[in-house]
Amino acid sequence: MHEYFSGGRLFRLCLKELRESLRDRRTLVTLILMPILVYPLLSMAMQRLVIGVAPKGSGGPVEYIVGAADEDGARVLASALQDTARATNDGVRPSIQIRRQKASGGGGESVVLTDGATQGVTSGSLQTNADAAFSIVIPERGTIQDALRDGNVDLAVTRASREQAAPDGSLGLVYQFDMEFREGDGRSEGAMLEFRKAMELVNDMQSARIRSILPRVRGEVLAPAVRLVSNGTGQQRDVFASLAGILPLILILMTITGAVYPAIDLTAGERERGTMEAMIATPAPRFVLLLSKYVAVVTVAVLTALANLTASWLTLSIGGLGRALLGERGLSLSVLVQIFPLLVIFAAFFSAILLAMCSYARSFKEAQAYLIPVMLISMAPGLLTLMPNVEFSTLLGIVPLVNILLLSRDIMTGSPAVLPAFAAVFSTLLYAGAALVVAARLFGAESATAGSQETWGDLLRRPKLSRGAPDLGELAIYFALLFPVFFIVTNLLGGWVKGIENRLWVNAGVLALLFFVVPTVVAWYRRLRLRETFLLRGWSGASGSATVQVARGAGVLVGVVMLGLGLWVIAYEVLKLFSAIGIGPIDLERTAELERAKLEFSAISLWVVWFTSALVPAFAEEYFFRGYVLSAFRGRVTRGRAILFSSLIFGLFHVVSGSQLTLERFMPTVLLGVFLGFLAVRTGSLWPGVFLHAIHNGLLFWLTRFSEGELTQWFGRNNEHFSVAWIGASLLMVGAGTMLVFYLTANRFDENTP
Amino acid sequence: MIVATKLRKEFQVRGKALVAVDRVSFQVGNGEVYGLLGPNGAGKTTTLRMVMGLVEPDEGYVEIGGIRTDVDRAQIRHQLGLISTNDGVYPWLSVREMLLYFADLYAVDLDVAKTRLVELAQLLDIESILDQRCSTLSTGQKQRVTLARGLMHDPPVMLLDEPTRGLDVVGSQTVFRFIEILRSRGKSVLLSTHRLDEAERVCDRFGLLHHGTMRYEGTLDDLRAQTGRDHLVDMFIALIREGEGN
Repeated sequence: MHEYFSGGRLFRLCLKELRESLRDRRTLVTLILMPILVYPLLSMAMQRLVIGVAPKGSGGPVEYIVGAADEDGARVLASALQDTARATNDGVRPSIQIRRQKASGGGGESVVLTDGATQGVTSGSLQTNADAAFSIVIPERGTIQDALRDGNVDLAVTRASREQAAPDGSLGLVYQFDMEFREGDGRSEGAMLEFRKAMELVNDMQSARIRSILPRVRGEVLAPAVRLVSNGTGQQRDVFASLAGILPLILILMTITGAVYPAIDLTAGERERGTMEAMIATPAPRFVLLLSKYVAVVTVAVLTALANLTASWLTLSIGGLGRALLGERGLSLSVLVQIFPLLVIFAAFFSAILLAMCSYARSFKEAQAYLIPVMLISMAPGLLTLMPNVEFSTLLGIVPLVNILLLSRDIMTGSPAVLPAFAAVFSTLLYAGAALVVAARLFGAESATAGSQETWGDLLRRPKLSRGAPDLGELAIYFALLFPVFFIVTNLLGGWVKGIENRLWVNAGVLALLFFVVPTVVAWYRRLRLRETFLLRGWSGASGSATVQVARGAGVLVGVVMLGLGLWVIAYEVLKLFSAIGIGPIDLERTAELERAKLEFSAISLWVVWFTSALVPAFAEEYFFRGYVLSAFRGRVTRGRAILFSSLIFGLFHVVSGSQLTLERFMPTVLLGVFLGFLAVRTGSLWPGVFLHAIHNGLLFWLTRFSEGELTQWFGRNNEHFSVAWIGASLLMVGAGTMLVFYLTANRFDENTP
Repeated sequence: MIVATKLRKEFQVRGKALVAVDRVSFQVGNGEVYGLLGPNGAGKTTTLRMVMGLVEPDEGYVEIGGIRTDVDRAQIRHQLGLISTNDGVYPWLSVREMLLYFADLYAVDLDVAKTRLVELAQLLDIESILDQRCSTLSTGQKQRVTLARGLMHDPPVMLLDEPTRGLDVVGSQTVFRFIEILRSRGKSVLLSTHRLDEAERVCDRFGLLHHGTMRYEGTLDDLRAQTGRDHLVDMFIALIREGEGN
């Protein structure tokens, strides 16, 4: 295996796959031609959708009626529109009429007011560009909102309360308006878009003028000449939200499309060309072969994503559609920078799915037959995200495709919720890993067993031979299944189970089920020898006389107690350290919640707390993380890395607690995991770890029984930190405990290397 | 050196067990060309796949250079070269790229691979097309590229699965010349074919498979003595008639 990861060989293998894909014209079509064609077409369609049935008639401008609340407002509005018209008409400031609308039904009679700022009344409306002209009316009866609702005006524009009039040529705001329009009404939405466009022109002119006078002026000084506040109806944001949902869906569909062809070509294509067998017959491990193909497919998908992002950004920026869809900031560069990694993650996930499907296919046609239903099926949840009131909830955070779509939508329209975002990214990466494992198993399977029918079921079938540890593939699949379940259960329980004591029991039950019962059943089914997989054996070592063994065993336990007494202080300080540098700050609300929990806690018997929160988690988590997880790495990576990887996974699972994302728990948990892993590796046994884990948890929960004052008195905590003496003593304790364990044990972990 | 001992393989076809290969044993020495012969469906390809380690035998085992295929599969594959009728080329890669790709798959050192590439290109007369895309090659050129591919890792054992099927006289001649080169380099060659005339020309020893069992084995003289017939073709016809008579 090693020779394939050194000397640039893996890179060369990937390069071959990339060459094959990128030299193929068909790949280039989806990569380059599609984005160039799709977005302008789409943009046109969207313009129609947003602007609706704007009747262009004989090609002249559409005349929109803008309602102003009073004469003063109307004059400012007229002045703003004149500025726009002047920009398009060689500096001539044309005149405009302001009409007073008498009746609220129909157009009615109008009293014509002449705009005082101009001489001569010549036209009924003011044309701001080739497509649009505006006339301003002031309803005589009722508010402009009534007029808007009744359809007498297309757009209601009022001067914003915070408006500051600034003299011509100076910095700052000149006009500031609030706009309201009828949602779903093409004409009204068209008026809104055109008015916005006109005002932006003034804005740009103003900026240009200021910059010409003060070239070194900083950006933030240049307040916009016109600030528009669209506040319409309550549903208005939903229009934007649903429209904003379309773009991620299209981007993701296009990214998928980019990956489809290379995925088929590099797998089923190999079979069809007759190169598969020669490739499979080489000593190169299948996983390496698949990995190189995977890298190529993901690369093409990412390139497609980049091409699509660029094309969509250009289209939306040029057409001004971006602002219409996504609000004021449009599709800004920072949004793109946030969306791109999501597309990469999604590409990583979907490429693995595609490879898994195609690996099973014997021909191009067969692969296409498999993929089309998959694409259609994945469209369906995608469409769900277009519905206006779908919220990016925690549970949707683990639904593949939907999570990335909703996260992209929320990034485009505002800031997404942190926990669902974390769940979306983390679960998608887990799914990608599992899909890649499945793909590696299926890849080349057909040519390896000609005549027999290898099926998907083989992956789930019970192996014939027993083994001492799961392989990494099984681990990846188990995680991909475990994480969503864990996430859903911990989330739902937070809402369903009332009372802290009940919650403690249920939590303990869930931990026992997911980390003990289910892994045991899975291990039994997959014929893993339980004793070796879960390190169910003594820790005193086999060498030496019985007395020596007992003494050594006792010595190890003393070391574990020392670790247990010292580690929690260190873990606490690590937690504080990471909170201080901004990783998952413990906010006040959460602290208050903790205080409340603490009060309720003290009413529960300490035995119950110890059993449910120390003993059960200690056993179940050790059983899984130091048993199943650590064993999967045994003999495949170095001992140090095995400890590190299992600790990182241990840490990640502790970040999700209930319905909260407790990022600050990550580092302390990883630290604890490293010591627990060290114990498991040195003793080859689960039990010292269980003991340490139980001491650690038990100690922490016991301490919650005491008041802040008592704790401060004992530990000399100042400003929420332990005294230097305590930290020093704890470090010494941990150091001594570690040394003791180290000297009393030989490495017994690798005894069962598969 | 190939040693196959009592190979047996069963496949499940629609719930029924079908014995594809039954207790087949043979040996191929260094510098020897062994013809594995038999009509379609005799079990040649399955046997070859078991030798390659692509199919696990239900019983029996294969040793290549003293190593059993079920013990160290990766090591076995380094020892084996495979050329089959259905072998294709990568249309979008140049000949050089493709050959170096296979050298990488066999974990051959890059410098060694480059030297070997030049040598094989001379040997198989593909120097002029090294930088040409494979999609532009003629059938004969593709075949020579495939032969070169099989030798990029210089394996001591070469498996040839119907290497002349679909080739014209010139193409077949190239294959024969290739087999001669292999023999002269002391490689063990296992040739599976149903072209008996060709086999008679190039093979040192033969194994006649029928319905998954080894019916006759030995040099041409051995076979003549066993069957009482002069040519492989006659031996075969007798074999098949015998099978029909059963």
